[in-house]
Amino acid sequence: MSEASLPRTEPSAALPRTKSRRRTSSLRRIFAIARKESLHVQRDPQALYLALGMPIMLLLLFGYGVSFDMDELPVVLVDEDATPESRALSDAVFASGELRIAGTARSADAAHQIFADRDANAVLVLPRGLSESIARGEPVEVQLLVDGVEANSAAQLQGKAEAAVRAASLSLGATPAMAMSPPTETRLSTWFNPEERSQLFLVPGLAAYILAIVAVLLTALTVSREWDRSSIQQLFVTPVRTWEIVMGKLLPYFTLGVIAELIVFVTGAWVFDVPMRGDPIVLGLASLLFLLGMLGQGMLISIVAKNQMVATQMATMVSMLPSMLLSGFMFPIENMPLPLQVISNVVPARYFIHTLRGVLLRGNGFAEVWFDLLMLGGFAFVMFTIATRRFKRELA
Amino acid sequence: MTASTTSRALSIETSAIGRDFGSGKTLNRAVGALSLEIPHGELFGLIGPDGAGKTTLLRMMAGLLPPTRGTVRVEGFDPFGKEADHARDVVGLVPQEHSLYGDLTVGENLDFFADLYGLDGEELRTRRERLMSITRLGTFLDRRAAQLSGGMYKKLAVACALLHQPDVLLLDEPTNGVDPPSRRELWELLYEFVDQGMTIVVTTPYMDEATRCHRVALMDRGEIIAMDAPERLVASLDAAVLEVSLASVPNARERATALVESSELVIASAPLGASLRVVVESRNEAALAKALEGLGTLSRTAPSFEDLFLTAIARREKTAATKEAA
Repeated sequence: MSEASLPRTEPSAALPRTKSRRRTSSLRRIFAIARKESLHVQRDPQALYLALGMPIMLLLLFGYGVSFDMDELPVVLVDEDATPESRALSDAVFASGELRIAGTARSADAAHQIFADRDANAVLVLPRGLSESIARGEPVEVQLLVDGVEANSAAQLQGKAEAAVRAASLSLGATPAMAMSPPTETRLSTWFNPEERSQLFLVPGLAAYILAIVAVLLTALTVSREWDRSSIQQLFVTPVRTWEIVMGKLLPYFTLGVIAELIVFVTGAWVFDVPMRGDPIVLGLASLLFLLGMLGQGMLISIVAKNQMVATQMATMVSMLPSMLLSGFMFPIENMPLPLQVISNVVPARYFIHTLRGVLLRGNGFAEVWFDLLMLGGFAFVMFTIATRRFKRELA
Repeated sequence: MTASTTSRALSIETSAIGRDFGSGKTLNRAVGALSLEIPHGELFGLIGPDGAGKTTLLRMMAGLLPPTRGTVRVEGFDPFGKEADHARDVVGLVPQEHSLYGDLTVGENLDFFADLYGLDGEELRTRRERLMSITRLGTFLDRRAAQLSGGMYKKLAVACALLHQPDVLLLDEPTNGVDPPSRRELWELLYEFVDQGMTIVVTTPYMDEATRCHRVALMDRGEIIAMDAPERLVASLDAAVLEVSLASVPNARERATALVESSELVIASAPLGASLRVVVESRNEAALAKALEGLGTLSRTAPSFEDLFLTAIARREKTAATKEAA
């Protein structure tokens, strides 16, 4: 091919060709990415709401709404005896207000319909011949039918009804004997500690859960957004390194995560009187390590997913659910089937919650929680290592 | 810098470069095995329909997409080797997609890329001012990139790609979605850069833009089917370009179009105002005139770049079809 016809222009002086090789610093590029990322957060405050609003909302919701202590449990009364004695017994049972008469029925057979309509959680049956038993000084036998579908209510109802009947029958001078006959579906488990207020038990777990959501979701969108917007092309033609992108994006979300964490702890201490019995330095260290691990996990998801929708779904699957279900937040790990127990070993929230409960409630220090800290640090390290390795500098 | 001295004559050099996507049955050869030599200061066009492999080729030059086979050197540097950073230093890219940060202002976008390239001081200040004055974006520094018009957005992308003063500028369909006045402005910018010695590779689906390049490569399905200066390519067209002047009979236009489109003689055809434009092999000119008798008369006309392009593609398809049949 001939090149004779090509217009040839000599380089002009306006743009000097000779230029010094620039020595560019990683630090400058990291801060450039961090600054840009902060601008994204400021201009699209959704991330801010997520980071700062969600912790407060979840805390209040769980702290107040999801109290395990119940009042005014609706009970249907079946008074087959219909004597002054049976009425006195039922009045005494419902006097405390913990149980409430939701209605009356003629026979225990009506119970199925009552449960089906969800009008009441239990049916209290005072059988025919009750007054005669009391008169003869024989043990009084009343029947309590409990809807076992809602396991927690059933457990509480059982306890409360038993106590109420015992107290009432004692005052009537009868020996109480209660025949419990819950329907077949009843599955009861004692998954909260009745010695403690439920908030004390919940807030540490909640701290881990909230942090997991906020940190993972925030970072899960950050690299995938670059792919969605195709700005990743412009990034990759510059000398910026992938680890610099990861570090730069980490900085603003780390700051947001720390703020979210402080909100949770301050709210926990202030509103729910969660004590601080152990070493705050250990608590701080555990929080930072856990936060880094969660940010790293989000970053890895973001790098692997390459699009925001997939990233959000993955974040939900691999971080939110395990942090809630496999961390000991609500269900004790010892009660889980073996495979789930094994999986829970790689759920960092497990170690964080263990540390939190230990430090906040039991007054633990380094000596008791060093293993948890080690696992949290290890998790963070592994996440960032994989994330940086998987972050390939090419479009495909 | 030693690598660049050996092949200083060429700005971009690819040898048998190719890229596949997928594997097995879904294997797609986006770019076959292309060898290109682009000297300094050339405005080189990659012309072809969608899916021709223009973007893939450009991305390989930019160091964004590693080739499946072959090599590429930009100013003597291999963008996928140890010299990747040198290659990044000499290349600027304007991608086809909106790939700046729409929620950042013009100024913030520029600052961001200046930081990534490690530019500062007087050097950055003068360069930035110059780019702002030639792109006339200076008064929009505080406007968010997403609120710029298509043309201004592209100019900002060009400015961001030129901040580090690359020797090579790669532009992927830069005039896509840009109104005609801004399109012209953008091309004027490119000429200005080329005059100063920059090498520019631009992809475009628009034929009129092809003729603005010093040299073009016609691409189709991952291969280059012709490469030369556009006016020489057009002059080399060995087929007859004819204009059909329609007779005043009912439905002359519809009938002539149907005939032309179904005729074995015709290589390519396109409507042209009130008439039709047809490309045929020179030996078939008389036969076509006969076929169109009563509907219109034929007259020779000067071939355009579009005629050349349509002919080249149509001939390729024909040979591919006969190969398949055999």
